Amino acid sequence: MVPPLVPRARILIADGAAGTAQIAEFERDRRELIRRGLGLGGAVIAASSIPLLLSVRNAFAATDNDADILKSAITLERTAVLVYGAAIDSKLLSEGFGEVARRFRDHEKEHADALITALTDLGGTPPAPPSAKDIEGLNDLKSQGDVANFAIELEMASLAAYYDAQGKLADAKLLQAGASIMANEAQHLVVLRQTVKRDRVPNAFETGAK
Amino acid sequence: MDLDRFLRDPLSRRRFFRMSGVSVAGGSAMFLAACGGDDTDTPATGPDESDAADVEILNSALDLELMAVAAYKAGAMLLKGEVLAVGRQFLEHEQEHADGLATAIKDAGGRPNRSKPSYDFPQLKSQTDVLRFAVDLENTAIAAYIDALPKLGKGDLRATASAIVANEAEHVAVLLGALGEQQVPDAFVVGKAA
Repeated sequence: MVPPLVPRARILIADGAAGTAQIAEFERDRRELIRRGLGLGGAVIAASSIPLLLSVRNAFAATDNDADILKSAITLERTAVLVYGAAIDSKLLSEGFGEVARRFRDHEKEHADALITALTDLGGTPPAPPSAKDIEGLNDLKSQGDVANFAIELEMASLAAYYDAQGKLADAKLLQAGASIMANEAQHLVVLRQTVKRDRVPNAFETGAK
Repeated sequence: MDLDRFLRDPLSRRRFFRMSGVSVAGGSAMFLAACGGDDTDTPATGPDESDAADVEILNSALDLELMAVAAYKAGAMLLKGEVLAVGRQFLEHEQEHADGLATAIKDAGGRPNRSKPSYDFPQLKSQTDVLRFAVDLENTAIAAYIDALPKLGKGDLRATASAIVANEAEHVAVLLGALGEQQVPDAFVVGKAA
């Protein structure tokens, strides 16, 4: 349970310098994600992808600049498009869950497109798109449950990143869009959690934290 | 009182939107447009916004949360089985939001509003009525929070308000599922401004 309206400690790396305690916290997060990723469903679930997701989150936390936050968010959303796309192509999914994955992939694509438009309007250039091979653990998924658990990790990392960003974004419309995207990712989590029979809404504050 | 009229009417909701001073985006297309460019009608705010402004916004949000607590309590008697368990869980969440907002208001030097002695809810006759009413209340809250978000002066409050929006959106997904409807209909969750 998240203490109401008390900000969680975040990884704040100003000008590239991080305190020992901040680095230690980041390491705890990373190790915890990897531990849970390894433990879910008895399969090795994309341990190698988790540092990628955390690096995106860290990139959010490392800047107060709207354009840089947008670039990181674009990478995060494009990563999600790749993950759902790989899941759809995996032949591991039931017809029903396949439809869910296609819907969620389309949502992530809509997010990415909107963020790219926003970045372009700010005069920025979108980052190079990630590659599926950057998410090596995807090939280790062996069942629909593995896919759902992996997608849960992905969506949680995404939520945590947006939660960090929401305290930093300066532009009013980007703030509103960020909250709207966070809310959509949270709804994805509800469906994914019910697929693997987890508590669908375990916390009153959905921050991407456990 | 019918549901639409009720959702248009509550004083707290009107105050909340008035404080926010921005119009709600009605769908993903608007969000695509909103993401780019012109923000002349929604000036960004920074950490210099006064605590007093935050207190007023937070108290309006608190009014909505207290109303949601009352609504889930009122609807519980019509819920059964798993849906009743869901209603109880969501009631606890709304109470946690209210408690958190009250704490933040006190921290900012304000006095938290209290729940009203009674709420003039529409007549609910079935579990389906309760679920639909809850969906509408949750969507109204989402729209109100998203509207108000840029007016909150402190970054931590904006982040936490976003976490509440995400939780309310989760509630909507579960409630829509209980109604047998598409749980995640849109890529951009903007709630519903009545």
